[in-house]
Amino acid sequence: MELDSGGWIPSSSRDPRRWWRLGSVAGIAAGFVLGRSRLLGDIFGPYIQIANSLPRVVLAPIFLLWFGLGIWSKVALGVTVVFFIVFFNTLKGVREVNPVLLDNARMLGATERQLVRHVLLPSALAWIFSSLEISVGMSIIAAVVGEYLGSTQGIGYLIAQAEGVFDTTGVFAGMVFLAAFVLLVAALVGRVERRLLHWRPRPAESSSV
Amino acid sequence: MPAALQFSSVSKRYDSGYEAIEGISFTMAPRRFVSIVGPSGCGKSTVLNLAAGLLTVSAGQVECFGEPLTGLNRRAAYLFQQDALLPWKSVLDNASLGLVLRGRPQDAAHDWLRRVGLEAFSARYPHELSGGMRKRVALAQCLAVQPDLLLMDEPFSALDIHTRLRMEQELLDWVSAAGTTVLFITHDLEEAIALSDEVLVLSAGPRSHLVGRYEIDLPRPRPLLDLKTEPRFAEMYRAIWHDLRGEVIRALGGDHTEGKSHG
Ligand SMILES: Nc1ncnc2c1ncn2[C@@H]1O[C@H](COP(=O)(O)OP(=O)(O)O)[C@@H](O)[C@H]1O
Ligand SMILES: [Mg+2]
Repeated sequence: MELDSGGWIPSSSRDPRRWWRLGSVAGIAAGFVLGRSRLLGDIFGPYIQIANSLPRVVLAPIFLLWFGLGIWSKVALGVTVVFFIVFFNTLKGVREVNPVLLDNARMLGATERQLVRHVLLPSALAWIFSSLEISVGMSIIAAVVGEYLGSTQGIGYLIAQAEGVFDTTGVFAGMVFLAAFVLLVAALVGRVERRLLHWRPRPAESSSV
Repeated sequence: MPAALQFSSVSKRYDSGYEAIEGISFTMAPRRFVSIVGPSGCGKSTVLNLAAGLLTVSAGQVECFGEPLTGLNRRAAYLFQQDALLPWKSVLDNASLGLVLRGRPQDAAHDWLRRVGLEAFSARYPHELSGGMRKRVALAQCLAVQPDLLLMDEPFSALDIHTRLRMEQELLDWVSAAGTTVLFITHDLEEAIALSDEVLVLSAGPRSHLVGRYEIDLPRPRPLLDLKTEPRFAEMYRAIWHDLRGEVIRALGGDHTEGKSHG
C-alpha cells in the first residue's frame, strides 16, 4: 500500500467539515421547522420517513452516476447521511422539549424567536450532539464507501485496490486508519459537546441527587 | 377601579371532551391575596391557566384589570408547580430571563436574588440547587418583572415544612410590599387560610364549580408561626373544611356516611 502518493488521505475528506456542517445545519433547520409546525410535520413526515428508510449505501452508485467519480458524489453521500441523522434528532429534541419550560418563557414575554434561542435550541442541542458523534462517523464511512465503489483516489479506493490484488495487509491498514480517523473526529465532537453542554450534571452526580 | 381579575361564567371543555370547570365566576380586587382550594384533579390548574391565557375559555369571559383577556396575560407572572428554570442557564440568567426577554435592564434580577438570599449562588446552575432554592429563583424570576398579578400553582407543595413556612412568610412580606395581586392554588387548606384574604372552594370534577367563598378576616401582618394556634384560625378552618370535606370525599369516589370531622 502506497502511503506517499498523497492519496492516502481520503480525497472526500479534503474538507470534511464543509459538507458535514452543511448537512448538520440543514438537518437542524429542517428539524426545527417540522418540529414547530404540526401542519408541515404532518405533510412532510411520511416522505421523510420513506427517504430515511432507504439504506444510504444503495444511493452510492446513483450518486456516482449523477455526480461522477470525483469528490462530489462522496460529498452528496456524506451530506445525506448527516442530514437525516441530525434532522431526526433535532425533530425529537424540539418536539420533546418540556412544555412547562416553554410556557414559563412565554409567560415571561418570549416571542417565538426568543423561544427558539433560549429554550428550543439549547434543549435540542443535547439530542443533536448525541447524534453528531454518530453521524460524523457514519458520514465518513459513507464517503469511504463511495470511494470504494468508484473513485481514483482516497482510502476507500486504496482498500478496493488492495482487495483486488489480495493484499490483506493493505486492507487492514486501510481499516485501521479509517477507524482511527473516525475516533479522532468523534473525540473532537465530544470535546465541543462538553464545552457547549457544560451546564449538565455529571452522570455520577445526578444519580446521587 | 377595575378588578384585577374577573371570571364571568367561565367554562372549560378540553379537546378530549372532558368538561373540567363550568360556570365559574369570581372577582379579585387589586392587591388582594385569593386562594383556590379543592381536591386534586378538580380543575384548580385549569382555572389558573385560563387566568394566564395559556388556555382559552370554552364559554364565559376572563377580564384582567378591566380588559378582556385575549392571548397570554401580559400583566401576570406565573409560578409553576413543576420546575420551570432553564437547566442551561445560571441562577442569575434564570432570574433575569423575563427582563432579558422584555429588553429591560437586569438590575432588578440582582436585587431579587439578594432578597431571596441566593446572591452567592448567582453563577450556579439549577441542578446544583436544592428544591427550595430553585423555587426561590423561580419566585425571583417572577417578581423581577414586577407583575401586577401573580399566579401561583401549588408552589410550595414539594418543599419540606420549615422551608415552606419560611417561604410563605417571605412571600406575604414581598407581595404586600409590592402591592401585587395574588391568585394562589393549593390543596392545603391551612396554607390557604394562613396566606389569604379570601378562600374559594372548588368542587370535585367534572364540571367543577365554586361551592364556597370565605373572607379571611385574620389581621395583617400575620406571623405564620403562631397563627395556627389562634382560635379564629381554627374557627375558619372548621367552617371551610365542612365544605371542602364533602368535595374531597366525592373526588375520592366514596360516600358521605361516616367519617370524623377534621380540624
Ligand atoms: N389537556 C388536558 N386535556 C384533557 N383533560 C385535561 C387536560 N388537562 C387537565 N385535564 C383534566 O382536567 C381535570 C382538572 O385538571 P387540573 O386543572 O390540572 O386539576 P388540579 O390542578 O385541580 O389538580 C383533571 O381531571 C384532568 O385530568
Ligand atoms: Mg394542579
